[in-house]
Amino acid sequence: MKLAIATTINGQREEIAVHPNQTLLEFLRDELKLKGAVEGCSVGVCGSCTVLIDGKPVSSCLTLASNIEGKSVTTIEGLSQNGELDPVQQAFLKHQAFQCGFCTTGMIMAVKGLLNAHKQPSEEQARDYLSGNLCRCGTYKEVLAAVKELARP
Amino acid sequence: MTLVGTNVEMVGGRAKVAGAVTYVADMEFAGQLYAKALRSPYPHAKLLRIDASKAAALPGVRAVVTRDDLAGLNPYFGTGVEDQPVLVIDKARCVGDIIAAVAADSKEIAEEAITLIEADYEELPAATDILEAAKPGAPLVQERHVDKNAGGNIHGVYRAASGDIEQGFKESDEIIENIYHIPPVQHGHIEPHVVTALWEPSGKLVVHTPSQTPSPLQEQIAKVFQMPLNRVRVIVPFIGGGYGGKNHARIEPVVALLARKARRPVQWILTREEVFYTGRRFGAVVKIKTGFKRDGRLWARKVEAWYDMGAYALSGPANTKNAAIIAGGPYNIPHRDYTTYAVYTNLPPAGPYRGVGASHVCWAYESDLDDIARRCKLDPLEVRLKNLIQENDRFITGETMISVGVSECVKQVAQSIGWNGIAEQEKRSDTIVRGKGLAVAIKSTSTPSTSAASVRLNADGSAILLTSTSDMGQGAQTALAQIVADELALPFERITVTFPDSDITPYDKSTSSSRATFHMGKAAQLAVGQIREQLFQAGAKALEARIEDLELRDSRLQVRGVPERSLTYPQLFKAIYGEAAGSLFGSHTLRTEGGIDAQGHGKGSSFWFYSAAGAEVEVDTETGKVRVLQVASAVDVGKAVHPIQCGLQNDGSALAGLGSALVEEMRYDNGQPINSSFLDYLLPSMLDHPGEFNSMLVETPHPDGPCGAKGMGEAALPPMAPAIGNAIANALSGVRVRDLPVKPHKIVAALSNAKERR
Ligand code: FES
Ligand code: FES
Repeated sequence: MKLAIATTINGQREEIAVHPNQTLLEFLRDELKLKGAVEGCSVGVCGSCTVLIDGKPVSSCLTLASNIEGKSVTTIEGLSQNGELDPVQQAFLKHQAFQCGFCTTGMIMAVKGLLNAHKQPSEEQARDYLSGNLCRCGTYKEVLAAVKELARP
Repeated sequence: MTLVGTNVEMVGGRAKVAGAVTYVADMEFAGQLYAKALRSPYPHAKLLRIDASKAAALPGVRAVVTRDDLAGLNPYFGTGVEDQPVLVIDKARCVGDIIAAVAADSKEIAEEAITLIEADYEELPAATDILEAAKPGAPLVQERHVDKNAGGNIHGVYRAASGDIEQGFKESDEIIENIYHIPPVQHGHIEPHVVTALWEPSGKLVVHTPSQTPSPLQEQIAKVFQMPLNRVRVIVPFIGGGYGGKNHARIEPVVALLARKARRPVQWILTREEVFYTGRRFGAVVKIKTGFKRDGRLWARKVEAWYDMGAYALSGPANTKNAAIIAGGPYNIPHRDYTTYAVYTNLPPAGPYRGVGASHVCWAYESDLDDIARRCKLDPLEVRLKNLIQENDRFITGETMISVGVSECVKQVAQSIGWNGIAEQEKRSDTIVRGKGLAVAIKSTSTPSTSAASVRLNADGSAILLTSTSDMGQGAQTALAQIVADELALPFERITVTFPDSDITPYDKSTSSSRATFHMGKAAQLAVGQIREQLFQAGAKALEARIEDLELRDSRLQVRGVPERSLTYPQLFKAIYGEAAGSLFGSHTLRTEGGIDAQGHGKGSSFWFYSAAGAEVEVDTETGKVRVLQVASAVDVGKAVHPIQCGLQNDGSALAGLGSALVEEMRYDNGQPINSSFLDYLLPSMLDHPGEFNSMLVETPHPDGPCGAKGMGEAALPPMAPAIGNAIANALSGVRVRDLPVKPHKIVAALSNAKERR
């Protein structure tokens, strides 16, 4: 049995059917074929599966797909407009704030959430907010540099 | 203008920020099935009976494989030692060993099927402690692969020596002796291991896997299935982090077996827990004894180190052998005697991790160095500089060392952290104390080894480098494209570097050991050299000039200094083939010379890594809590092909080194893993990342590297833990924790022990 729900995904209103026990990450990847959010740990620790629900970052591996009813989901695929990268994506590219890229989509979505929550985050706020996104390549310094640039008034 | 040395935009960067990279787990094939495995719950157990009939009967299950499916195969595989079964045959050798595997229509069905498999075991005594496992009489993990003379589970004993060790100790003014414990740690690549295998109707096997070693992997799979190499195609897209953890064939053969039986593509993505069963860094115990003169000269050093390979050797023997020659560090010591042991245990197999065997001995010799400086009342920086090897010094292997930038590295980190000499050791307050520490490291790269490259030049003046080098975030494709572009005087955008695909790309030993830029970069340069020869010959004729007077510049071949007398690439093709079409090929197989004999003599490495790290910490003497205030690392890269990418790799290595210094440790209880998830095993997060984090590149060009470049990706890791350890000991007036990681309770215990002794 699937549940029929109405939701918004990357700005598009959708009527979708989800399994009651399906995670949002599974739904995005397996049903919608949106492969930008990836699975690193499946226990809500690494942040590689981060997407925005109503502008706030969540670990999609821990969120049930049915929870997005009536809400608005943004994934990495929804950021660029007409082939133009979003400012956060551009800042990541400029500061080379990634290496292997596996944590990167989640990190970018978390930075989006950070900037939604704080227009001009301090470095401390940024570290705190992003501490749930692990980068084993160790590219934290550059992420912070990208945030700093984005936080400029 | 040359591209080497500049920070061009990383190849694939745009796709990475757009979420448009296709990692192996993102691929889907028509009819694809999903795999799951039944794994051993015991560290050591005979598999008495296995019955998978109920699982096979479950609707949606398309194939189940057990030891009964190995007929007609070579069931054991491995990098050097063929000790790894495709799945358990007679006994499980570690928790997590694969007993059976299922392919089903969905992950849920596969999971359910696993619960229906019946397996009976007879538990065997297990060898889980490394020193116990090395003793005669220990339960044997791999009966057929142990060194009978060495006893116990020792697979190999490796030695390196010089001078007369007993005489050296006699001549020393003082001697210190210590034991260090280094636990296994996780690589922590955020992308888990994942494999998709499918068999084409013709009987050809195609494997998609994020492997750092596509060519050896292809060889091993081909051997298991008894097929020629051209019938096994291995394809590697961007890898979501490797760090050594994706160096070895582990789950590929069993996925291929499932796909063959099911006659459908099979994908297996490991859970994080399973990643912990699949790879880790060796644990080790290092005994070190050093004799020295009162003026700080190191005089005699004896090291014995036991490396815990776990249940399967992987590259453990080679890594342990390489560790023997660097066991005492990058120092000139007249009398040396180093021995390393590769030991099997009933723990999941261990393999290389950034720094490989170098980190373990570095923790020991660099901790000891500060103790020695303290005994001599000398500045640890001075003691290092006094003993470090210099250009043209002879190493323990007998070889002459060149391109030696280690002194420069340590000077730079000392300056970066504001090192103040011996005065540092006096800074104290009541319960919060601060200290600084330094460390250096030396490491080899796998030697001898082979890398082949092919370059195809198109008539429009664009080129493709065909290479089996994997890009796992280090930016290999970027660096190689820079090198090729310069050789052809073409813009960066005109060069494509392939992903490894064994149908197309030639043999390469591995993307590990930080060897890709040096080896593949050189092979690519030499491959382009063949194309250049053809271009120059044709150009000389067409331009009526001497070959020596020609140069490639700005996408043209021209008479030096006379741009009017020049040919574009299409014109050159026309001169060669009569029309601006066709392809020009160049290829080169680079085989490095060297290797060491049983006495540890020979050429230990085609180039040597030198690095240094520095740290400043604050320690709470009541709680033992450590705060890292700043770290710095310096690596001698020869020539930085892409300085930003080099810096990023340093950062990553240094941060991982910080993790293993303070928190990271895989824990076992009698062979049972107890922290196999990211909830219990902590990777450094942004909060652990020190505000001051400086990584520096020293450039001491190497004559054999492309443009003078050496490998560098992992060099910053080994010295980081001892630099932090030394900073802590410095803060605590010399009280030292010798077992990694340096956790608060160990500091508190060490302080109270020291008080009692006083
Ligand atoms: S996969 Fe969701 S937080 Fe790690
Ligand atoms: S870029 Fe590799 S894990 Fe962050």
